[in-house]
Amino acid sequence: MSPRDPILSRRLADRRLVTAAWASVVALLAIGALLAARAEIDHRAEAARQAEVQADILAASVSAALAFDDTTAMREYVDALRVNKAIAAAAVYDASGRAVVTYSHTGGPPPPAGAPRLGTRFAARHLTVSRPVTEQGSRLGEVYLQIQPEPWTSILARHSALGLLTVLAFLLLGVVTAAAAQLQARARLLAEANTRLVEEMEARGKAEEALRQSQKMEALGQLTGGIAHDFNNLLQVVHGAFELVRRKPDDSSRVAAWAENGIAAAERGASLTRQLLAFSRSQKLELRPFVVADLIAEMRDLLVRTLGPDIALAVDLDEARVPVMSDRTQLELAVLNLAINARDAMPNGGRLTISTVIRALPAGDPVLEAGEYVSLSVADTGEGMPAEVIQRAFDPFFTTKGVGKGTGLGLSQVYGVARQAGGTAEIASTPGLGTVVTLLLRRSALAADAPQAQASLRPVLAPKGGRTVLLVDDEAPVRELTAETLELLGYQVLTADSGAAALEILETAQPDVMLFDYAMPAMNGAELARLARLIRPDTPIVIASGYADTAQVEAALGGEAMILRKPFNMETLAQTVAGLVGGSEEPPAEGEG
Amino acid sequence: MLRWRGLAARGVAALAAATAALAAVAPARAGDSGLELAVKATYLYKLAPFVSWPNTGWSTSNAPLVICVQGADPFGPLLDQATAGQAVGTHPVTVKRVARLEPDVGCQIAYVAGGAAQSKAQALQAVEGAPVLTVTDEARGPPGRGIVHLLLDGGKVRFSIDAGQADRNGVAISSKLLALAVAVKR
Repeated sequence: MSPRDPILSRRLADRRLVTAAWASVVALLAIGALLAARAEIDHRAEAARQAEVQADILAASVSAALAFDDTTAMREYVDALRVNKAIAAAAVYDASGRAVVTYSHTGGPPPPAGAPRLGTRFAARHLTVSRPVTEQGSRLGEVYLQIQPEPWTSILARHSALGLLTVLAFLLLGVVTAAAAQLQARARLLAEANTRLVEEMEARGKAEEALRQSQKMEALGQLTGGIAHDFNNLLQVVHGAFELVRRKPDDSSRVAAWAENGIAAAERGASLTRQLLAFSRSQKLELRPFVVADLIAEMRDLLVRTLGPDIALAVDLDEARVPVMSDRTQLELAVLNLAINARDAMPNGGRLTISTVIRALPAGDPVLEAGEYVSLSVADTGEGMPAEVIQRAFDPFFTTKGVGKGTGLGLSQVYGVARQAGGTAEIASTPGLGTVVTLLLRRSALAADAPQAQASLRPVLAPKGGRTVLLVDDEAPVRELTAETLELLGYQVLTADSGAAALEILETAQPDVMLFDYAMPAMNGAELARLARLIRPDTPIVIASGYADTAQVEAALGGEAMILRKPFNMETLAQTVAGLVGGSEEPPAEGEG
Repeated sequence: MLRWRGLAARGVAALAAATAALAAVAPARAGDSGLELAVKATYLYKLAPFVSWPNTGWSTSNAPLVICVQGADPFGPLLDQATAGQAVGTHPVTVKRVARLEPDVGCQIAYVAGGAAQSKAQALQAVEGAPVLTVTDEARGPPGRGIVHLLLDGGKVRFSIDAGQADRNGVAISSKLLALAVAVKR
């Protein structure tokens, strides 16, 4: 357990509490003992004072009788002391020190025969007092009192408060110690429960991650048909362009136009795959503020291709730029799920309208907090659904689609996203007229991240004097095309078709930049990079990767190489390589790519 | 203190009862023996601490306390022996023998025995109203009684006190002394 463990520190705190309780009790008892000692001293002083007063009274009373030798009267006065059981002995002495009258309690010690020294003293628990008998300054004699030792019961009674205090203190200590022990036991149980909970939460987190991924994959599966068709069209354009170039390579003006067409088609394809890859990439939930209208605008291409040619897409977006706090990919998936549902609801074509408006919600809603919300509606003109289906539509695994056509997780994912963004989702449908699904997403207090500025992609040439690039790719066409492009930009290019060949080259050559493909048999780009770094530790490395999981590539590289997303165009390649060798932005002397 | 006073009063009552009983059975009185005189001599100065004189009675703090013996002195050297070296507070005790008592005689205590020059009654009359504690003795015979009147009671020397006369002479007598008296005349 780490020292920061709250339960451990709680246990330590409990132990400290018990120690503190013990210390308090000891201090309390010490103070009690001091107070008792003080009280005992005070009690003795008070007893002495009382005895002195009594002796003084006796002295004053017997003075005349002593002066005129009236023994009878003196005896009367002394005998009166018998009433006071505390007095063990008493005596009156005349001026010559002779005992005139004496008295002693039954069994008690007799008073001294001769007048004792004046004063008050304690001897063997006996308090004795000798006071002079005087009258107007004339010394007539002396009186003597001896006080009975205080019985133990009386002493105990006097200190019973301290005794009670002691007993209570120990009782209290017992209770505190027992309570602390109980607390510790409970803390231990809590710690165990906590550990179990954490494990369960981790397991649940993993399951949820897997579910999200499977939901995305399901959506992708739904898309596949449309996308494949689309890709086919794009390939058709590219294929056609190259076909024309092959047939009429000398018609330079038309070749340029055909190439333009081919490049445009290839870029659309690249954009589409980028979106698909980004979407399918397994990643953690990441809540960030963003503007829903931007997201829909960016998804437009994907949506058009998802819906197919028979369904018209209308987009009506607000311009308020209200940010919401959600996971971008999850909201994309939600919109995609709704689009797929709409497509399936409109087998004979129709119209899908996606719109966003800002809605202010007053206080008093049982579920939602008052405030501004972005209302995102996806409306179709499909067959609609009956009320009983609407009621269960958001339930997980509820589906009206046939076996193999849907898992029933789509709408539950939509609902989950809306709830996560502090809102909700609603369905309104009229059978035969269509369905509107509305997501209410709560306005975020945080401003949306600024949209990434599209860098101006202008080809950057190799710096003067030339630089050498080591290019490794197992696929010959790609390798050759890339090598040609780099040479066009002014680089000297060394090529290898495998990691082993590349390492061989590195034994002798000293390139300025190394560009490796990631997905290669026998030795992938990351493994090659690690070995290459041993030979050329200072040479920058770029990994070209079309692999879906960027995070995996990054982890393999340990953040020590750049990643070039495939497919890349000439501008991106030029920018990336030049950035590593310090290239210029001057236009090249001949032809631009 | 209250308790003690109560006891003292009871003691006095008991003593009075005893006196009455003794008066019925005892012979008239014992002679003025030597021992008796010696006791009386000490009584004369032992009275002093229980008596307060007006301030005029003392000139300085160490002025002597003067005991006068008027008329026929029965003590002889006994009184001088008894008072030798004695003091009441800061006042040394001295003895003065006089034939006559006058108001300005300068005694605090006067043992009035009566004599040829001045009878007992005349002497008492002479210091009537003066700050003098007059002492008479039953043994010296009637008539006339001073503020303190010595008498024999059960074979012991006791005294009665005339508190009214003390008031008239301006001397204050301690209640302790009054408590010890066999009789107090108000």
